[in-house]
Amino acid sequence: MTIRHPNRPTALAAATVICGWFVAGAVPAAAQTKPESLTGVERLEGDWVRIDANGSGDFGGLTSKFTPASLTPSGAAAMAEGARAGAVARGPAFTENARHDQGQPYIVVSRPCGAGPFGGGVLGTNPDSGAIHFVVSKDAIVLAPERGGARRIYLDGRKHPDLRTWTPTGSGHSVGRIENGELVSDTVGLTRGVVTAGGYRTPETHLTERFVVSPDGKHLTIKYRWEDPLIYQTPHEYQYEFDRLPAGSYALEYWCDASDPAEQESVTPPAQ
Amino acid sequence: MGRRAAVILALAALSITGAGAQQPAASSRDISGFWALTADGKKVPDAKLLPRVTRGMLDLHKRRDVHALRWCNPVGLPLMMDAGTPIEIRQGPTSVIVLAENSLVPRYMYLNRKHVSADIYDPSTIGDSVATWEGDTLAVDTVGFHPTHGVTSIPGGGFRTDKTHLTERYRLLKNGDVLSVLFTWTDPTVFAAPHTYEFRYRRLPPAYEPLNEWPCDPYDETRASFLGDPAPFGK
Repeated sequence: MTIRHPNRPTALAAATVICGWFVAGAVPAAAQTKPESLTGVERLEGDWVRIDANGSGDFGGLTSKFTPASLTPSGAAAMAEGARAGAVARGPAFTENARHDQGQPYIVVSRPCGAGPFGGGVLGTNPDSGAIHFVVSKDAIVLAPERGGARRIYLDGRKHPDLRTWTPTGSGHSVGRIENGELVSDTVGLTRGVVTAGGYRTPETHLTERFVVSPDGKHLTIKYRWEDPLIYQTPHEYQYEFDRLPAGSYALEYWCDASDPAEQESVTPPAQ
Repeated sequence: MGRRAAVILALAALSITGAGAQQPAASSRDISGFWALTADGKKVPDAKLLPRVTRGMLDLHKRRDVHALRWCNPVGLPLMMDAGTPIEIRQGPTSVIVLAENSLVPRYMYLNRKHVSADIYDPSTIGDSVATWEGDTLAVDTVGFHPTHGVTSIPGGGFRTDKTHLTERYRLLKNGDVLSVLFTWTDPTVFAAPHTYEFRYRRLPPAYEPLNEWPCDPYDETRASFLGDPAPFGK
C-alpha cells in the first residue's frame, strides 16, 4: 500500500482536481473530520510518509547520522550468524553478471514479491516514500504500511503472550499505553533480524516506541529504543520523522504479481 | 385483545427506534473487533446474471481466481470478507480498516468523505470505499474495482468488473455479539438485478490473537502443484 495524494498525476488530472475542489466548494461537503483537529492519541489517525530529516538525499543516507548500536560480544556474534543464515535463505539475489545495453532490462531478483513489509527491523516504516496509515480505535491502534500487512498495538490492557508458546513474527506483539496524550508501545516476540543502524533483535528483545505528534498535527516523530542485555551494551536509540499527507489521500494498492516475469527485472532507464 | 397488544408492541418498537430520531448508543456505532464467519452465517441466493454472461466467462474468472491464490496475490473483495479465517475491523475517527488474517492487503473505508475522482483513482482489488453512519447502520459505498486483479468471483454468481458498484450495510445485532453485513452488488455488464446477500459474523473474544503473518509462499512447489494454475494470463 502506498498512500496516494489525490492531486499527484498529470497536469490534466491536476486541472480536474482543481475543478473538483471548486465543485466541492459549491456543494456542502460531507462532515469529514481532519485528523489534525483531533485530540490526544487520536491525532495519530491518518496517513504519514517518512521524510529525509537529515537531508541525506538517498535511502542509504537516511540513517547515516544515527548513533550506531553498541553490541555486546554475544550480540555481535548473533548478528554475524544471522547474516550468514540470511544470506543462505535469500539465494541468488542477482542472477546475471553480464554487461547490458542501455534500455535492456536484466534480472535483479530471482524470487520477487516474497518479502513482507516487516523485514529489516523498520516495522513497516519503509524509507521509500511508501506511507503508513494509522487507524486509532478504542482498544487497538493499527499501523498499515506500504506493501500491505498490518501491525497492531493493543490498548485493552492485555499482557504480552508467553514467548515460549508465541511464534515470532516480523511485527511482534505490541501493547501500548497513553502518556500525556502520546502513544507508548512495548514490543516483544519479533523474528530474529537486523535493526536500523547496526542493531539486532531476537524474540526476547524489547522495543519501546513513543509516537509524538507535533502541536499542529502535521508532523510525527517515532522514537525507538531497543533493549536487550544479551545484545546491547546500552539501549539502542534513534528516531524517524514523518509528515502527514494532505486530506483526501488514499491508500494505493501495492501490486506485485510473482508470476509476472517483469517483477524480476531491473528498471530500464530511457535513452538520454 | 391480541391484535391490540400487537399494535402497542409495534408502537413501542417505533418509539424505541424512533426512525432515527434518537442517536443510538455509542457502542452500537463501533464495529471494531475480531469477527468469525461460520457456515451458518451466510445467506447467499443465486445471482440473476445477464444473458451475455456466458459459462466461458465465468470459467475464465474462476481460473484467474486460482491464479491469484496460487501466486499469493492480494485477493481483495469480495473474498477477503469470507476468506476462511477471522477478520479484524478497527474503527477510527476518520476511517475503518478491515484486516483478513490470510490477506496481506487491508481494506479501508473512509468515513464521511466523497469518492476519489475516477480520473485519478488507481483501480484496486478493494476499490474506493466511503462510509457514513445512518442511525445504527454503517453504510459503505465502493467503486473503483480492478477488473482482473485478485479474486473476482462473487458469492452466488457473477464477478466484479471496473463497472461494479458495491454497497454494504453493517449493523450490530444481539448486543454487539453478531455483525450483520448486507452486500448488494450491481453491474450493468454482469447482473440483471441487484445481487444481495447477507453474512452474519460472530464476535470473537476480545483477547483473541490473530495470526499476523499468513504463510503464503508463491514458491512452495507442493502448494502450487496442489492448487494448479492451468493457464498463464496476459497482464
